[in-house]
Amino acid sequence: MLVGLHAPELVRVTRPGHFAMVIPPSGERAATALGIYEAHGERASLLFFEVGKRTRELGSLKIGDQLGLLGPLGNGFTLGQARNVAIVAGGVGIASVLLPAQAALAAGARVRLFYGARTKELLVERERFANEGCEVLVATDDGSDGHRGYVTDLLANAHDKPDLILACGPTPMLRAVARVAGEINVPAQLSLEETFACGVGGCWGCVVPLVRTSAQAPSFPPAERQGSDVVYARICKEGPVFWAHELRW
Amino acid sequence: MNATQVDLSVKVGKLELDYPTFMGSGCYGSGEEFAPFVDLARIGAVVLKSVTRLPRLGNPTPRLVHTPAGMLNAIGLQNPGIEWYLEHDVKKFAERPCAVVGSVAGFSVDDYAYTCERLAARDEIAAIELNISCPNVAHEGETFACDPNLTANVVRAARATTDKTLIVKLSPNVTDIAGIARVAESAGADALAVINTVRGMAIDVETWKPRLGNVTGGLSGPAIRPIAVLAVYEVARAVKIPIVGQGGIETTSDALEFFLAGASAISIGTGNFTDPRIPVRIADELAAYLAARNVASLRQIIGKANVGFANPYQYEGDEG
Repeated sequence: MLVGLHAPELVRVTRPGHFAMVIPPSGERAATALGIYEAHGERASLLFFEVGKRTRELGSLKIGDQLGLLGPLGNGFTLGQARNVAIVAGGVGIASVLLPAQAALAAGARVRLFYGARTKELLVERERFANEGCEVLVATDDGSDGHRGYVTDLLANAHDKPDLILACGPTPMLRAVARVAGEINVPAQLSLEETFACGVGGCWGCVVPLVRTSAQAPSFPPAERQGSDVVYARICKEGPVFWAHELRW
Repeated sequence: MNATQVDLSVKVGKLELDYPTFMGSGCYGSGEEFAPFVDLARIGAVVLKSVTRLPRLGNPTPRLVHTPAGMLNAIGLQNPGIEWYLEHDVKKFAERPCAVVGSVAGFSVDDYAYTCERLAARDEIAAIELNISCPNVAHEGETFACDPNLTANVVRAARATTDKTLIVKLSPNVTDIAGIARVAESAGADALAVINTVRGMAIDVETWKPRLGNVTGGLSGPAIRPIAVLAVYEVARAVKIPIVGQGGIETTSDALEFFLAGASAISIGTGNFTDPRIPVRIADELAAYLAARNVASLRQIIGKANVGFANPYQYEGDEG
């Protein structure tokens, strides 16, 4: 489901990798974290699958309805001077990688999208990425399209080594991306998923262990008896995008 | 009467607030996190995340599970410790356009007294909430609110360190919350926060493991609201000091239940995770509700649902 929003103020400050906390129209708890899919001119959009009560509620919005949201939130992807970018998306993780793909393409980089899903029907929006100028490689669990198996197999076996990897998807996929990135010695930024409560850094519920030397690490002093090299960082605030080699998860 | 003429101001100890709304500790950061989305001048007070004497790493992940009509959390008091906090964080609180209430947690009477004294000494802090009821730090944290003697000792020790308003946050995980409330009042509490989260647990039936890294957690949200309303009602009948009622408040009707049960103010925590506009909406709607009934001040309705308790052997109502 793709929900378009007339939201010029949101678009103006949205950067690749940002997300929004969407307030449920029914007022029944709780707000839902969604990646911002498109952000151009006066239009932003949210891309999601209708898998639960909350997403079905959002999917039933009608044209002209109002939607409350907090955003854009978090620290997004950093492209730097990358010339050859590999983007790895799993499932609904595709919703957070169009903006970085567009930004990399606009900067003249080569962009390959490694896109995995359970089955062919769930590989949504792949034509969009191809039309933008990405090379699209797909993998499905059931072999209904592309490589049968994990999308990270494609990344590991890619001939032309990227100089930057960006990834968003389920945690097991992100762990595999981190492992492959280490093996082929390419820096990787991962957009993590976790259960959120506030989404704005107020509750410390969505944390991940991070090396203390990371620029994203909260500057807390070390806790007694608990080791000094790691600190819990908020995925919603310091993240959701982290350097794979700085995570201790 | 129109809504703008209604007086929503409350007095909690020495704390005078234009709005009767507190933002629950641990749910609202220091207010700064929500400031881009909420006009903090239109809320009563932010209760800060609890601080302890020493830095704490916090609990292992996962720390949150959404559950029916609520959520479980087990954060584990992750915080930088009082020294770092005083040096780096506290000065920023002066910028908040609402009252800022410090929250103190600890593992011994000395811890509480030490941290309370250091924090209360700062001008940026308007009042202190004593978190003696955190359910997520092994057996130590909540023990204080579950034992009348420990409650008395810790409240007395904290009381001796400051003249500022001292709010003691009580646990619902006790047999007799009114008894603990009386003890806290006698030991010098200026107000009571009722209630903290209710202990709970969720299990992943695929992995056969608890879903929280800490195994157990604290349940919040509308699921616990009737528990909280009863706790406020019982405590209000037992003490004379003001109560900050909390537990699953999301709407004006929810808030009214707490005022009618005997709360002088309310606190919103998990509700902000559904919609951070809730506290301001409740203030606006409370004014309209009271104006429509020709009630000039919110204070006039506090505790109005007090009808005592039905004797279960004589009660002839149709409840259940």
